[in-house]
Amino acid sequence: MMKAVFSRCACLALALGVVGCASGPGGGSIYVPVGGQDRSTAPEPPRASGSEQDAEPRVWRKSEQPEVSEPEPPATRSPSYRQAGDELPAAAVSLIRDADQRLQQGDYNGAIARLERAQRIAPRSAEVYFKLAEAYVAGDNLGAAEQFTLKGLSLAGNDTRMQRSGWLLLADIRRARGNVAGADQAETRAQAL
Amino acid sequence: MSKSRNPRKKSSKPQNRRKRSGFWRFMFRAGAVGLVLLAGWMVYLDAVVTSRFEGRRFEVPSRVYARPLELYDGASVSASGLARELELAGYRAGDGARVGTYQRSGGRFVISARGFRFPDGEEPRRRLSLVVSGDRVQSFSVLAGPDSPIVRLEPAQIGGIYPSHREDRVLVRLEEVPDLLPKGLMVIEDRQFYEHFGVAPQSIARAMLANIKAGQIVQGGSTLTQQLVKNFFLTRDQTLIRKGNEALMSVLLEWHYEKDDILETYLNEVYLGQAGNRSINGFGLASQFFFGEPLKDLDVQQIALLIGMVKGPSYYNPRRHPERAKARRDLVLSEMAEAGLISADESARAIRQPLGVSSRPSYTDNRYPAYIDLVRRHLARDYREEDLQSEGLRIFTTLDPAVQNASETAIRDTLPRLARGDTREALEAALVVTAKDTGEVLALVGGKDPSFAGFNRAVDARRPIGSLIKPFTYLAALGQADRYTLITPVQDRAFTLEFDDGRLWQPKNYDGKERGEVPLHLTLSHSYNLPAVRIGLDVGIPRVQEVLRAFGVTTPISDYPSMLLGALSLTPTDVAQLYQGLATSGFNTPLRTIREVTDARNEPLSRYSLKVDRVADPAAVHLVQYAMQETMQEGTGRSAYFSLPDRLTLAGKTGTTDEGRDSWFAGFSGDLLAVAWVGRDDNGPTVLTGASGALPVWSAMMAQLPQHGFSPVMPDGIQYHWVNAQQQALTGERCANARLVPFIVGSEPQQRIDCEGQFGRQIRSWFEGLFQ
Repeated sequence: MMKAVFSRCACLALALGVVGCASGPGGGSIYVPVGGQDRSTAPEPPRASGSEQDAEPRVWRKSEQPEVSEPEPPATRSPSYRQAGDELPAAAVSLIRDADQRLQQGDYNGAIARLERAQRIAPRSAEVYFKLAEAYVAGDNLGAAEQFTLKGLSLAGNDTRMQRSGWLLLADIRRARGNVAGADQAETRAQAL
Repeated sequence: MSKSRNPRKKSSKPQNRRKRSGFWRFMFRAGAVGLVLLAGWMVYLDAVVTSRFEGRRFEVPSRVYARPLELYDGASVSASGLARELELAGYRAGDGARVGTYQRSGGRFVISARGFRFPDGEEPRRRLSLVVSGDRVQSFSVLAGPDSPIVRLEPAQIGGIYPSHREDRVLVRLEEVPDLLPKGLMVIEDRQFYEHFGVAPQSIARAMLANIKAGQIVQGGSTLTQQLVKNFFLTRDQTLIRKGNEALMSVLLEWHYEKDDILETYLNEVYLGQAGNRSINGFGLASQFFFGEPLKDLDVQQIALLIGMVKGPSYYNPRRHPERAKARRDLVLSEMAEAGLISADESARAIRQPLGVSSRPSYTDNRYPAYIDLVRRHLARDYREEDLQSEGLRIFTTLDPAVQNASETAIRDTLPRLARGDTREALEAALVVTAKDTGEVLALVGGKDPSFAGFNRAVDARRPIGSLIKPFTYLAALGQADRYTLITPVQDRAFTLEFDDGRLWQPKNYDGKERGEVPLHLTLSHSYNLPAVRIGLDVGIPRVQEVLRAFGVTTPISDYPSMLLGALSLTPTDVAQLYQGLATSGFNTPLRTIREVTDARNEPLSRYSLKVDRVADPAAVHLVQYAMQETMQEGTGRSAYFSLPDRLTLAGKTGTTDEGRDSWFAGFSGDLLAVAWVGRDDNGPTVLTGASGALPVWSAMMAQLPQHGFSPVMPDGIQYHWVNAQQQALTGERCANARLVPFIVGSEPQQRIDCEGQFGRQIRSWFEGLFQ
């Protein structure tokens, strides 16, 4: 049974790094540096209306303070979503390769430590979670493996290859845990893709 | 006679003999008693000194580290943030070639990284080059050292867990110490160290002569062993008895231990300075304290300074008395040259160098007391306090100094603007920031004075959470796709609930208004109370409690309907845990402050791994996330965009309790989840709401950090449709009142209002616009 899981994981390893990133109508996740130029809705700070010679700073009485307007919601703004998770950056790929090597040497903890580093770099990428699941399978912690597979699946989006890998991995883990019905269900999902 | 004499004589002789033998016996007995006493005393001294020696050799406080900064192409960091991070880790601005320095010009950095032994392996020394542009690392490359696309800087030390006598040290091993240090030390302090047996009579004689001449004690003549013994007992008075004891104990030490053991312990034990109420013991820590660098990286003149300071750490304190310290250092340098340890050239060159002491101790006391407090609580689950204080453990936390800095700034700058007069004085705040997908606690502020190690509100202030509870009620409802969708009409109308005992309960909206029929998503994004209570009562309080427990509430939850409006008291950290599951689409991720703990030799003791646990259907959570995004765009959280860029998509929820006693905001971006609380310790009223109190704090923190917008991946079983909520029908994208809304597949409206019916109207409105 373990062997079956391993072979699937090998397929998964092949899938690494070739995943495209398709954004849904809501757009992908946008990286926003500090002090973005598009702060259009920030209210203007109160300004003295007098000329520059007007040395005396104008005192605003409460009654005549400018109304702070609520920012108008721009027409284009709507709740965001997307169809697929993030692509893996090169740094994460190198960590995953390193983890793979350690896994082959039987160093589960070393592999997990590296995969967790990769997960911090690419926390919205399904592969990282499938890889973690694989490491937990190898370390014989099938409960954790199942949870990481589910987490990966929640980020697989419309990437059918990624989804199929995930469902098959889930089927194997569930079967290994003795959950035959759950395994069949996952297998059916994989076949439907 | 003779007989009689004889006996007398005989008797006198034995008497004499008896007298003599009595004297000798007395002497013998006294000597024996003395010897026994001395032996006893020696045994006592032996026990004292060896236990001290053994105990001190290994008593090292635990070190607490921030998370290491990971550098790679695409890493999220600002140029100023990187510079600050480098300073915090003890790097100095310089040429970027010498280990432990960095060179910056604009966004371009060259960093000469020291390398660090992480629990999962060594990060070797490297020279790195990178450009920070748009708050991202670009053109990352390794100039020298093993190539890698990703490199961890050494982590900043953010605190320690000290024993009660508050001595600190960085344990060094003799073989790791630069050769010049022990050799120089012997030249200056004890030239016969490897020959004597603990005391050096010659030097004592020399010292005594000098002392008699001066009429007071001016010279020690102590060997390194004697100095070590003296250091054990921490008293500086130099009585003869003490000197005698010291000498005896020194001999005993030498008898028990190898010279190298004694030397190593000396290097780790000798007193070299004071940091507030903590003493700086040993060369390892002194190096860190005065130069911000590990001992093995020190230059000749730096080593000479430390050796010189042994004679009088406060007298030669290089920060307070730089001239004295330099004179002493230069003397040591010339002595070292004379002894042939360094060449005359080297000595002359070193003498020309400035002291090179870092401007402030790179090493300050716990600067993040609230965070360390939470770390200690987490450690207490697995470790005994004594072990933490003495075993020299290395604790790798998840604290992100940039986020912590932003959080402290946000509270410090925002809080005074929120109220006036007495309320302003009384106002307190707490802020918890976690990494959305890992559950790592990145920052924690426990009050308006972040450096105050007192009441930690982030962990201990248990307050009613108000409307922060609503997303969980809505999640319970939206999980029943056959009954509830985001566009289900809900009655925003007052009602009275009568309990069995005859008491009445009449919930109200915050603004006191009623709006009639409102689509469900708007009732959450605008935080209307009446619809929330109706929905909660409809799905049933037990179901809502179940959801809350699944997401991490461990305290008892009231059965009364008032719980639907937040009659549940939680701490800001509890709330962060609760919202983690909402932010990650239904995966509970336990909050962590610690990644790993190792012992002093880097052997791993505990790893606190990432855990995920699916506690809700991601599809239902996606619907709640939709409404929580709407909260920020057009609901109660929209004022966040006063200070945040439009492009940063966010999701969140405000919470306010009666009379503004508690102002809450919990929300998340793509990377960060944060919970802010503002209120008074005496639970008094304020004029604040969640939007006017906690939200400005939250936004001020978020505005300082580069990050990804929130854009959840559409989970399995969700489909987006253009709908007309009023008509409860599918519609075309361009039709009036069309809104793109997610549905659990199968729960979308069945009828469709085509644009045909509204086509004409749309044309008309075009023309209206043209001819007005």
